[in-house]
Amino acid sequence: MKTENQITDPDRFYDELSTLHASLNAESSADLNARLVLILANQIGDNSVLSECLALAASSGN
Amino acid sequence: MTEQIESGYELPVFPYKRPPELSGLPGQVSIVIVGGGLAGLTLAADLSIRGIPFVLVDEDDTVGVRGASSRGIVYAQKSLEIFARLGIYDRLAQKGVAWSVGRSLRGDRDVIYEFDAAGQTHSEQPPFLNIQQFYIEWYLVERIMELGVGELRWKNKVAHAEAHDDVTHLVIDTPDGRYELHADWVVDCSGLASNLREKLGLQTHPEKGTERWCISDVRFKKELPLERWTWVESPVNNNRAVWQHPMADGVWRIDFQMELDADVDYISRPDVCTERVRRLLGDEFPFELVWVGPWASRTHLLDNFRHKRVLFAGDSAHVFPPLGGRGGNSGIQDADNLGWKLALVVKGKAPVSLLDSYNLERRPAAIHNTLLATRSVRFLSPVSAGQRCLRRAAMDLARRHDFARKMINTGRLSDPFRYQDSPISADAGESVANVTLQLKTGSRVALVDLARANQLLVFTGGDVAIPEALKDQQVFRVGAGTRWDINDHEGLVSAALGLQEGMVVVVRPDLHILVRSNDASILTRATRNVLLVE
Repeated sequence: MKTENQITDPDRFYDELSTLHASLNAESSADLNARLVLILANQIGDNSVLSECLALAASSGN
Repeated sequence: MTEQIESGYELPVFPYKRPPELSGLPGQVSIVIVGGGLAGLTLAADLSIRGIPFVLVDEDDTVGVRGASSRGIVYAQKSLEIFARLGIYDRLAQKGVAWSVGRSLRGDRDVIYEFDAAGQTHSEQPPFLNIQQFYIEWYLVERIMELGVGELRWKNKVAHAEAHDDVTHLVIDTPDGRYELHADWVVDCSGLASNLREKLGLQTHPEKGTERWCISDVRFKKELPLERWTWVESPVNNNRAVWQHPMADGVWRIDFQMELDADVDYISRPDVCTERVRRLLGDEFPFELVWVGPWASRTHLLDNFRHKRVLFAGDSAHVFPPLGGRGGNSGIQDADNLGWKLALVVKGKAPVSLLDSYNLERRPAAIHNTLLATRSVRFLSPVSAGQRCLRRAAMDLARRHDFARKMINTGRLSDPFRYQDSPISADAGESVANVTLQLKTGSRVALVDLARANQLLVFTGGDVAIPEALKDQQVFRVGAGTRWDINDHEGLVSAALGLQEGMVVVVRPDLHILVRSNDASILTRATRNVLLVE
């Protein structure tokens, strides 16, 4: 798993994702994020890397 | 009180005979099999094929546990290959329904996922055959009786047991009274609530789950494709899962997922179930309920499938949720793993330590089955909004995208386990498909036809010298052309074995690979793990 920035244009990605969420209610946002998780997970592919990402996500909330 | 359903089946009744030991001393026997279900009868048939006498005791005098219930119905290719070796496959193929296509639907008819398991191996057997469990047990009993090597004792129930280091004492109840058997080896195949296992005080770590299913066998004439259909969220079942399978005799098996902790008596009431089936089939098709039964999930697992001179197979050793049809299949494959080992040990051709490999191979298989079945249960019973949301995402993406389809989990069907942590099949241990072989004589046989002798099967890629330790086993030189023991002109046999030019592949009688090598010392060491040879 990499945590140094890999995204070519981080602001652009953040903005595109925000745009998608702008007009959605909580449930639709959750559905969108869930679909996105599965789509992005498939881009990564490797189970060990995915497990590390899940662990990081689980421990990063406040 | 309870409504009787006419199943229309007449199950056989086997004769009870007064055991000779009732009038005298305890009987001394080599092998006792306790329980005449799938595991016990598969083992008994296998020992019969191998010429090894045994006594099988069963507390009942028929097949099927609760009348003509379908119970385990999906038999995977590996199990079918085992039945081919035992000589009942042709009967099963005539009676049952072979299938390879499965579909997962959403709502009424939206197909979100489909697979066709055909063509993945070159086995002579299909990917799956559906048939009611009592038919398999019935045919196995008749085969065992036909072979006449072992003894089947009906209405004999194990009341008590004492396990010693070199013998097991069994106390057995019959309609005429109680007697004792002293056995060199006992194989307990008496199921989930095994009295023998309880009497030995062995821990299974049982856990009851909240999952409930209603299983129904339904006879109707609606023309449906001979495929396995599953719904994750069926509109006729309160958006819970439904499985629909064809079986023998135009009877279909329909499983309904019920609410967690549902009252099992209520969900399996015939009128309640009838209403559910009517919603699924529609009003225009008359149907009759052949059998209804509830299922409550539980798991258990023995710490060791061997305890002194007692070995455990099937549900007595391991239980997990029925999703994916791994229970019956793994009991059959436990018996398959054990039969040839027990035969060699009893004949003095193998060290007793070979039987420890049974536990070291089949217990990991049971753990694997439990893991996969549990994952299916979790997919089908999301416990939080977040889990429901995740499942919705997978289903939304599945119709168009392969990666999401792979996550739709209504049960992962049984496939043969690879014994990668086995002390005897390290680095190998995968199962070979039951391929057709063309022999030098011109005749064609199946791989299982070579696996009935109490010997290893040795395949060489071309002319390769084999070590002394393997000289008395069945040796086949494989190549393209009629001068070879196996004429592999299409290369399918070599592909199935993973056999390359100059290599030797040794296959066990259960068709799992023992070793693959061209190094004489590796081949010899692997052989010595299994056989008592110089």
